[in-house]
Amino acid sequence: MKLTTVKFLIGQALVSIKRNGMMSLASTGTVAISMFVLGTFLLLALNANLVADTIESNVEIAVLLDADATPEEINSTYEDIVALDGVLEVTHIPKEEALDRLSRQFGEEHDLLQALGGVNPLPDSFIVKVENPRMVGEVAEVLSRFNYVDKVRYGKGLVEKLFSILDWVRWLGTAVVVLLSLAAVFLIAITIRLTVFARREEITIMKYVGATNWFIRWPFFLEGLFLGTLGSLLATAALYYSYSYLVGYVAASISFIPLITDREFLLQVLLCLLAGGAVLGAVGSAISVRRFLKV
Amino acid sequence: MIHLYNVTKEYPNGVVALKNVTVNINKGEFVFLVGPSGAGKSTFIRLIFREELPTSGQVIIAGKSIARLRPSKVAVLRRNIGVVFQDFRLLPDRTVFENVAFAMRVLQYSQREIDQRVPEVLHLVGLTSKAGNYPYQLSGGEQQRTAIARAIVNNPKILVADEPTGNLDPETSWEIMHLLYEINKRGTTLIVATHDQKIVDAMKRRVIALDRGRLVRDDQEGGYGL
Repeated sequence: MKLTTVKFLIGQALVSIKRNGMMSLASTGTVAISMFVLGTFLLLALNANLVADTIESNVEIAVLLDADATPEEINSTYEDIVALDGVLEVTHIPKEEALDRLSRQFGEEHDLLQALGGVNPLPDSFIVKVENPRMVGEVAEVLSRFNYVDKVRYGKGLVEKLFSILDWVRWLGTAVVVLLSLAAVFLIAITIRLTVFARREEITIMKYVGATNWFIRWPFFLEGLFLGTLGSLLATAALYYSYSYLVGYVAASISFIPLITDREFLLQVLLCLLAGGAVLGAVGSAISVRRFLKV
Repeated sequence: MIHLYNVTKEYPNGVVALKNVTVNINKGEFVFLVGPSGAGKSTFIRLIFREELPTSGQVIIAGKSIARLRPSKVAVLRRNIGVVFQDFRLLPDRTVFENVAFAMRVLQYSQREIDQRVPEVLHLVGLTSKAGNYPYQLSGGEQQRTAIARAIVNNPKILVADEPTGNLDPETSWEIMHLLYEINKRGTTLIVATHDQKIVDAMKRRVIALDRGRLVRDDQEGGYGL
């Protein structure tokens, strides 16, 4: 391609953006709004996922040992649990600490130990975290069959229900994002198609004077790329600032909700949106032109 | 230069626009294509610059059958054929200069070559003073001159014109026809589809007459006939 041609084609793209001012504005606006809505729900879904992950990772198993287990037996059980497949972390809670916790729940002014007649009835216990929260039932099952283990508790029934709710949240998030992506693709494609349709006469004349297909397609491709990038840039900028503001607000008022604050991850997500908009614009217009090239 | 062998063109809607037409047109000829509306004149023209393909038969331009051309070769073919339409088909948002230059940009000429060649052609068609005007600022005749300038700016070997004077008054028609004649004298093969009986009769050129898709007459120095 000659330099004159490159200059001409880029010039054509810019001139036609200016010349078709309203259509350019409409395309950019469509891209910006679609991408903003899509991005909003994408961030919502990602955050819902994070909340789900956090809740899941808080699931733990309480292993209560036999009350008369000796320190050696407790220790060997501890070693066995640590060595078990799928176990992430084991915390030993000696019976004294367990009593402390319990008495604190009753209030500082009560001396629980004294009330119990100087004998601590609580057993030693372990808090076990598993690598995969979904395996909590299986791991608990195995643990219950260990020597010196009296009882195993992990909120059976409740945990399964919680997981199915979390699955729903994840699934819904994905479905909404996929549907919105499709909606964005269609909206943008239709708008681009209209801009190309408005210029079909120009395309026909280009064909008559012997323009090759790529010569006609390049300005449209560049124009689509430019408008797509501009639109999604607006969307991502708006998303970035409103999200940052929202995160600051939530962190200050409802701090127990975990939110994605990792700037790098956030920028990656926004960059994907930006690239998506640019590609949609460019490819969309290149494809839309094709219909009018068959002259 | 242009050969049609036993060409039949049937459109998808069942209309047979041309039926078993065989025509040879030599280099440098000036040919009128006459006949009533719907006789197949426009289809004839469209076949030559390959806007349409024949249903059967062969259309051979400069030694090549148009049916077997790949899209990139179609573009090359069209660069050797200038086209002029009844409705001018100018780009409304560009000046006369840019409309003509457009055909050169497509062929990747440099700005220097464009700045040199376009004024030459505009001078030839008598539009030097209108170079900066937009199509809506021009008369019909001036618009058609612009279209002709665009069609010949790349020195095509063939120029086809589909009712070039159909939208113009008689006097302007004569001016346009005279311009086409001048272009023909420079060696360009010219095919003009027209209704204009007076012009055809007066110019005494080869006349190919079509009627309902059939070739009914081919006279070397004919009149419009009836």
